[in-house]
Formats: sequence, C-alpha cells, structure tokens
Amino acid sequence: MRTVSAAETAPTSHPWAVHADSLRVKAGPHLAVDGLDLALGTGVHALLGPNGAGKSTLMRALATVVEPVGGTLTLLGVAVNGRADLRRVRRGLGYLPQQFGFYPRFTVREFVEYMAWLKEMPKSAVPAAVQRAVDRVGLSARADARMKTLSGGMLRRAGIAQAIVNDPELLLLDEPTVGLDPEQRLEFRELLRDLGVDSCVLVSTHLVEDVVAACTDVVLVNDGRLVHRGTTDSLIAAGGSGEAGDSPAERGYSALLRRHRAEAGR
Amino acid sequence: MRRKVDALDEAELVRRTATGDRRAFDELYRRTSPWLAVRLRRRCSDEDVVADVMQETYLAVWRSAGSFAGAATSGTAVGWLWTIAANRLVDAFRRRARQAQVSAVPLAETVAPAAEDEVMAGRVGQDLERALLALPPEMREVLRAMVLDGLTSRETAVLLNVPENTVRSRARRARIALREALS
Amino acid sequence: MTTHPSLAAIAEYAGGGRGLDEATVWSIEVHLEDCAECRARLAGSAAADTLALLDRVSAGLDREIAAGPAPARRTRRWLAPRRRWLVAALLPWVTMTVAVLLCALGLNRLLPELPSLVLLLAPVAPLPGVAAAWSRRLDPAGELIASTPAAGLTMLLRRTLVVLAVIVPALALLGTGTRTSLALMLLPCLAFTAGTIALGALIGVPRAAVGLGTLWALAVVVPTVITEDLPVVLRPGSAVLWALTAVVLVGVAMSRAGDFRRLTSHR
Repeated sequence: MRTVSAAETAPTSHPWAVHADSLRVKAGPHLAVDGLDLALGTGVHALLGPNGAGKSTLMRALATVVEPVGGTLTLLGVAVNGRADLRRVRRGLGYLPQQFGFYPRFTVREFVEYMAWLKEMPKSAVPAAVQRAVDRVGLSARADARMKTLSGGMLRRAGIAQAIVNDPELLLLDEPTVGLDPEQRLEFRELLRDLGVDSCVLVSTHLVEDVVAACTDVVLVNDGRLVHRGTTDSLIAAGGSGEAGDSPAERGYSALLRRHRAEAGR
Repeated sequence: MRRKVDALDEAELVRRTATGDRRAFDELYRRTSPWLAVRLRRRCSDEDVVADVMQETYLAVWRSAGSFAGAATSGTAVGWLWTIAANRLVDAFRRRARQAQVSAVPLAETVAPAAEDEVMAGRVGQDLERALLALPPEMREVLRAMVLDGLTSRETAVLLNVPENTVRSRARRARIALREALS
Repeated sequence: MTTHPSLAAIAEYAGGGRGLDEATVWSIEVHLEDCAECRARLAGSAAADTLALLDRVSAGLDREIAAGPAPARRTRRWLAPRRRWLVAALLPWVTMTVAVLLCALGLNRLLPELPSLVLLLAPVAPLPGVAAAWSRRLDPAGELIASTPAAGLTMLLRRTLVVLAVIVPALALLGTGTRTSLALMLLPCLAFTAGTIALGALIGVPRAAVGLGTLWALAVVVPTVITEDLPVVLRPGSAVLWALTAVVLVGVAMSRAGDFRRLTSHR
C-alpha cells in the first residue's frame, strides 16, 4: 500500500516521446544530421541507413550526449536545447551506444547497479530492478561474473540490461544485436516487442531482417536527412523485383535509397 | 545453537537464503506462497500466467536475496516479495498484450457488506469503504493497481490494457470522488 | 494493525469467491501484508486448486534452482561507494602526476641552484587528473555516463576531490623537503583547479586543463628555470592573493553549474 502523488495522476503532456524539427547535429566538424524532422511515439522503431548516414549521431543527440546545433528537439515533453534541465529527461532514458565502454573489473550486477545509481533510481528499488534487468536479457547465470570474462554477445546483453534497468520511457539502442548468435537474436526480438508495448524504442541496425521481425515502423535516413518513414509493409512495398537485395525488405531499402540519391543528385 | 527455521521471521529467512540456505528458502516459500498465489489469482484469471509469475518471483528471490539483505530497504521482506511479483506480473501482461491475448482481470462485484465484515476496521475505515464501493469499477481497478499494488501509471496501463492517460484521469477522478465522499 | 479478519472472511478470500465486497478484500490484503499469523491462517484455508498450483510452482522451482547458479553473495555495503569514488580511469593520470613530482624532487637534488621544481609544478599537478575526470574519451564508460542524470557538476567535483585527496598530501609530503610554506604550495593548486573548472564551463574541462597547464609552463616555469630565480607569483607574500583568487574562481565555477550537464570533449 502506498500513497500516489498528484504528479503521477497529472495528464501526460507529451504525445510524442521524441519530436525533432529541422534538427541539425554536428559530429566533429561534419554536419551529420542535416534538417531532420521526426516524431516517435510508443512502439519499436527501426533506424536504418547506410554507414555515415548520421544514425549514431542522431542517437547521441537523442541520448542528450551531444547538443544539437540547430532546430528543436523535444524529448519526453522537455525541450533539450540550450540550458535545459536534462536530469528529468535522462531519468526516463535508456541508451546503449555502439561502442560502449565498461570497467573490466566490475561484475555484471555491479555494473548494472552502478548505472542504476547514476540514473538516480530510488536506492531501495535498485537491487530488484537490477535482477529483473539481468533476467530479462538472459544473463541470470552470469550475473556475478566479471565483465572482462564475458564474450561479445554477453557484453552487449549486459549493455542492454543497463539500458533497461530504470524501465525507461525512451530507449535508444545502437546496433544492439552485434555479436549475438541467431538464437539470442530471437530472444532479443521478443524482449524488444515486450518493451515496445509501453515505451518508445529506437533501434539502429544494419540487419534489415531484425527490422521486419520486431519493429512496428521504420525510419530510413541518408546523409543526415529523412528518406522514408512508415511501417515495415511500406518499406517492402517500395521495392520491386528488379532491386538489389535478398528479401523484400532489403529490396525496398535499396529502392528507397536509390531514389533518394537520384533526387539529391538532381 | 542454530534456531529452527520455523521460529524465524521472513526477513531473517531471506537473509539465510542469501547465504544459500535451501531450507530457509523452502520455509519462506511454504509461508508466503499461498498468500501470493491467492493475491495474484485475484488479478489474473489465467492460471498458467500466475504459475509463471510465481516461479519467476521465487527464482528472483533465490538469486538476489543478497541484495535485499544488503540494502537498507525500508520495507518488509513480504513487501519486497510483492514488488518483485507485481513487476513480473506486468512483464507477463506486456508479453500477452503483444500477443494480443489479454487476461481478464476479475473485478469484485459490489455486494452489500455482510454484518461480520463491517466489524473489520483495518486501515480502510468505514467511510472510506463506502466511498470506495460507490466508485465505478474501472476507477477501483486503477486505485487497486496504483495504491494497493504499488504500480506506476504506466505499469497500470499495461495491466489493465488501457492508455496511460486514461489510467491517470481515472486516478484523478477517483481521488476527487473519494475526497468529496470523505469530507 | 489491531483487528484481524475473521476466519470465515479469510477462507472466503482464499477461495477466490465473489462473496466479499471490494473494500473488504482491500482491508484483508492490506492486513495480510503485515500479519504473518493471518497468512498462516490463509495457508490453512487454501483451496485444492491453489495447493495444486503451489505444488506445480514448487516443482518448477526445484528444477530451475538445480540448473542455475547459487544465490548472489551478499553485496558488501562498502563496495558500492568504493566503486563510485575510486574511479579506475583516474588512476593512471594521478600516478603519472605523482611520478613527475618525484622526478622534480630528484632533479632539485641534482641541481640545487634551481628554485623548488615541486613548488613550480604544484599548481598544475591536479590538472591531468581533473581533465581525465571529465573527459568522455578518457573514461571507458564515458559515453554511457554522459547520458545519465548524475552527469553534472557534482560528479566532476566528486572526482576532482578524489584527485586532490591524492595530490595534496603528496605535495605536502614532498614539500617538507624544501623550505617553502605549505600555503604557497597548496593555494595555487586549488586556484588552478577551480580555474580549470570555471574555464571548463566555457571551453570544456580537458581543453581548459591543457590551456592553463601550457600557459603556466610557458609563462612561469620556463622563465624560472632559465633565470633560476623564484617567480613573482610564487613569492612568500602572494599566498593571500592566491587564496582570494581560489575563492573567486570557485564562485564562478559554481555559478556555471548548468553548463556541466553535458560531458564534452569538444564543444
């Protein structure tokens, strides 16, 4: 039995978890995201695009790691340009970067606990949340192994565990399936679908099959701009039999990219 | 001399479980599982889901008892147990929502309280009882999930399969209605 | 909790029956969370299908426990804070600084006509550690930490404190060999640390550290080594000025706390 605060019953003010308007983000001297408009709600969204399309930079901007240089970005109802209070947004955020570093001597449990502490979770809730996160990614057997003893796939799963430990409303996963074998990828897709029920998940991936299987819609970017936004069916519909690719989704992907490049060249 | 397990309270049993004491864990299971099973079955009519949730809960207790014992938690062992179970229940409902199979959550019908029940004071006073019974069932559901079971509005939305804003507005109106009824 | 529910009520609750109204059920549930006696009574009144469920779960548990690992060992209370304070990323930089100071001391022994090199290096001694404390590239988990709510001035200060906690005693120890006052050794050190943080609000802490360090080296250390004369800024009377500077810079750094929300190696 607990008391429910007034803030918890106030109406949620944001229709979109992510709302970007003409977003421009730099990666070093290069403008990696150039005028991107995006609105993401609850569900699993895939972020597709060739290398250098600005996917990782976009993820970092959404994770409030880098500040955009232009446009507006609103995360969970809070505008994050300029001198915004990022703490509130970051508490509802989960982020797994493409190359994520860790402290080798930490055990998985200690690492996830440390991240939970950094995310300012209430102390009493941390141990149960850590166990739950570790169970959900399937690392229960290795929860007390040191991170330097883990294989690549297990490390990635530990990274996913720290991203979900605080039950985030906005979850950003940059190439989460790297190093996972097919069975683990299947389990991960199940997890993604569960997470997509009540949070906004953005998954950046190279594997088009992951997209079709687990995601409700697709965001295709190239050269920092939005190429296509729609359901996976619309991706498949865009492709014809003459396109490059081994699956309908891949063919759709190639077709959209080709068209975008042709238009940009014009 | 080591005290017999049945003389220990639940918190001590959890602490013993953390050291790998299987007898303490079994005793904890024996004492708390009937209560947990009955409570869970009043929230989910699907017996398989209840069985899964209970198994996951006690497994989590077995594996992470150390963190309960080590942390300065301000709750009881039983409260901690319920927190784990409630979380696992929401996870199970997420899986089900995704598979478009939603387990019906049974609601207690409004039955006139029998005489002997009115004797029971408890934390829920008589005025509050009446006010509660006057609320429509969907508001009572939301209150039960948020106040009694300790879920957040987001988790309640998953459990009841309604949008989060609906949960929040029902909670707001329930609070207003209760305040009016009690004043 | 004073009054217990009647046995009939508990039996009705245990049976999952609809005979109880919601408010009664609530009261029972609230009571059961705290009362072990009534839980035992509930166990006694459990219906047959509940018992079957419990057996089923128990069997499943036996299987899973036998197949899985033993429970996690009890987390030692002191371990968690240790992880937060003793950040491994700082260790190499702090060690390097101490090593350089030792070399400086040794050099002074060899070349006694030079003014105290330890004194000269003292102001910039904490800067490598501070730069490492606040650099996304130098901390292996920097990218992850940058997206957490805790990333901010408090974290930077905590780590800076760790750096100072090592450097300041080291300086004091090495300084007892020379004839310089302790205040003159430590106050510029604090002033420079505060200055790095304050400047770091504008241009990023690692850059500020490098900038201030280079400035000090070119403007003070090199001329002093050449002229073999104690520089003006480190004459005995200047301790008060250093103290004032340190206080002002700390104030400036605090006022710019909002700029530290993002860990940046470059702006």
